[in-house]
Amino acid sequence: MPLLQDKVAIVTGAGRGIGRGVAKLMAQEGASVVVCDLGVNVDGTGADISVAQQVVNEIKEDGGNAVACTESVATMAGGENIVQTAVDNFGKLDIVVTVAGILRDRMVFNMTEQEWDDVIAVHLKGTFTVVKNASILFRQQRSGRIITFSSTSGLYGNSGQANYGAAKDGIAGFTRVCARDLGRYGVTANSISPSASTRMTTSVPDEARALRSARGIAAGGSLRGEAEDVAPMVTWLASDEAAHVNGHVFHVTGGLVTLLNEPEPVKSIRKQGRWTVDELAGVFPATIGIELYNPAPAPPPSA
Amino acid sequence: MPNNLEGKVAIVTGAGRGIGRGVARLMAEEGASVVVCDLGGNVDGSGADVSVAQQVVNEITEAGGKAVACTESVVSMEGGEQIVQTAIDNFGRLDIVVTCAGILRDRMVFNMTEQEWDDVIAVHLKGTFTVVKNACILFRQQRSGRVITFSSESGLVGNSGQANYGAAKSGIAGFTKVVAKDMGRYGVTANAIAPRATTRMIGSIPDSAAEIRARGGVASISDSSGDDNLRDLDPDAVAPFVCYLASDYAANVNGQTFLVYGDTISLVSQPRPERAIWTETGHWEMDELSDRARNYLTAGIPNPAPAQQQ
Repeated sequence: MPLLQDKVAIVTGAGRGIGRGVAKLMAQEGASVVVCDLGVNVDGTGADISVAQQVVNEIKEDGGNAVACTESVATMAGGENIVQTAVDNFGKLDIVVTVAGILRDRMVFNMTEQEWDDVIAVHLKGTFTVVKNASILFRQQRSGRIITFSSTSGLYGNSGQANYGAAKDGIAGFTRVCARDLGRYGVTANSISPSASTRMTTSVPDEARALRSARGIAAGGSLRGEAEDVAPMVTWLASDEAAHVNGHVFHVTGGLVTLLNEPEPVKSIRKQGRWTVDELAGVFPATIGIELYNPAPAPPPSA
Repeated sequence: MPNNLEGKVAIVTGAGRGIGRGVARLMAEEGASVVVCDLGGNVDGSGADVSVAQQVVNEITEAGGKAVACTESVVSMEGGEQIVQTAIDNFGRLDIVVTCAGILRDRMVFNMTEQEWDDVIAVHLKGTFTVVKNACILFRQQRSGRVITFSSESGLVGNSGQANYGAAKSGIAGFTKVVAKDMGRYGVTANAIAPRATTRMIGSIPDSAAEIRARGGVASISDSSGDDNLRDLDPDAVAPFVCYLASDYAANVNGQTFLVYGDTISLVSQPRPERAIWTETGHWEMDELSDRARNYLTAGIPNPAPAQQQ
C-alpha cells in the first residue's frame, strides 16, 4: 500500500523547487494534495496563478489527486483559507508541509526594514499561520503531521542573510515548541534543513559566494542535491511509520539524511558566588575559550 | 573600582528591570556610559512608564556612573535609529549593544492569536534587528563593536505554550550567527546569551501551564536543569559574562551562544550531525528510505511529548 494512502496534505510553496517535489511525491504515494503557491518571483514580487495549477495538472496526469490554492501564507486569514481549501476539497487534513519562502539578501548594515519584514512575514509568520490553523484540526482528531523548513543559513549562519537566517532558525524553534504543544495529541512536528540547487539558491550571486570565500567567511552547506531529493524524507515523516519522530531537525541533501543534535551545553565554568569580569578574563580563555571557532575573524591590521 | 569598559559607550535595551537592569548597572560600574532603554511596559507589552528607565539611570549616577534614559520603542526601524542616535548625542560614540527587551504572551499554538504572535515577534526579533542594524552601520565604519543578543532555551530546546517566544528567541540565535559572519571581518563580534533567571517575565508564566505540561508528560526545560531551581536564580548573575563579552578581552569570541544562569556559564553546541543515512545512488527509493529511517536514523529517538491515551 502506498505510504500516504487516503491522507490529505497541504504543501505551501509547492509551485516550484523542493515544494513541487514534495507535492508530487506525496500524490504519488496516495495523498490528495493542496498545492499552495502564489507564483511569485524569488524576491516575493509578482504573482502567477498558473504556477500552482501547472503542478496540479502534472499530478492529475499521473493519476493523482490535487487542487491549486493561491492564498498568501503571510496573514492569519490566508492560513485559514488554505486549511479550509483542504477541508472543502478533500474533507479533512492530515499533513502540512511549509516550504513557502522568499529571499532578500543584504549585509545587515545595509538591510532595509522592508527586506527584513517581507522575509520574516513569508517564512516565519507564513509557517505559523498555516500550522496554527492546521493544529486546531489536528488536536481535535488526535493526529497530524507538521513538517516545516528551516535552513543551514539559520543553524550555522550565512553571511548576507540576517533576515533569512533569523526566519529559518525561528522556524526551527517554533517547530520544537509545536512538538511539545501537540505531541500529546498524537501529532508530530519536525523540521527539514535542506541543501538543494533551486531557483532560490541560484539567486545568490556568484560574486557573493566568491567574496565570502575570498575573505575567509565560512559558507553554509554545499548545494549538491536536486530539489526532488528532499521529498522522500518529507514523505516518510508524513507517514504513519514516523509516529515516533517528534521535535527533530533533519538535514537533507541528495541521498544523504542527517539527524542533527539538539543544542546542549558542551563546556561549562562555575564558581561559588557571582563572577567578576576580572575573574572571567582569567578563566574564560583557558577553559570555554580554548579553540573557540571564530566564523569570520578580523584580518590583521594592515596598511 | 573595576574599569574593564572604561571609555566605552553601551546601549542596553530592556534595561529598566530584570536582566537588562543588571547588565546596565554593571557596565556602568565597569566604566561604560550607558543608554538605559526601556518603555516601562508590562510583561505583556501593554502600558508604558517613563520612570522605569529613569530610576535605573538615577541608581547608576548616584553610584558615580554615567547613564541616560531612552524610551524609544525597538519595534520600528525609526526607533532603532533614535536609540543609536541617543548614544551618539549624549556620549559621542557607540561600542556595545545589548538587546534584552522582550515581552511574553504565552498560549498553546492551536489557541494563539495573530496579535499574540505579531507582538512577540515584533519586540524580540525585529526589536533586536532594528537596534543591531543601526549599530552595525557605525561598528563597520569604526572597525570595532560588540553585539550581545538574548536568546532562550525556549527556542533552542522548545517550551510548551511559547510558539511565538520560542520562534523569536531561536530566530535571534540564527540572526546573531549571521551578524557574526557579516561583521566579524570588521573587528565586530556578535554572540547570544540564553539566560535562566528569576525575573518578572518568568513570574508571568502561569503555573497552570506548568501543570498542563507535567500532566501531559511534556518535557519542561527546568526538568533538565538538575539542581538549579528556575524560581531562585538571581537576574544580576547574568551581567558579569555579558560585560566580559563586551570587553576587549573577548575580541575573538564570535558567533557563539552561551547559557548563563546563577554561577554557571556554558558554551552551547553548534548544530552537528548525530546520525546519518545515505543511498549509494544519490536518490532514494521510498522502500529503501523507509527501511533505513525506521531501523536506524530514528530508532529509539527521544520524543519530548509522546501521545497520550484519551
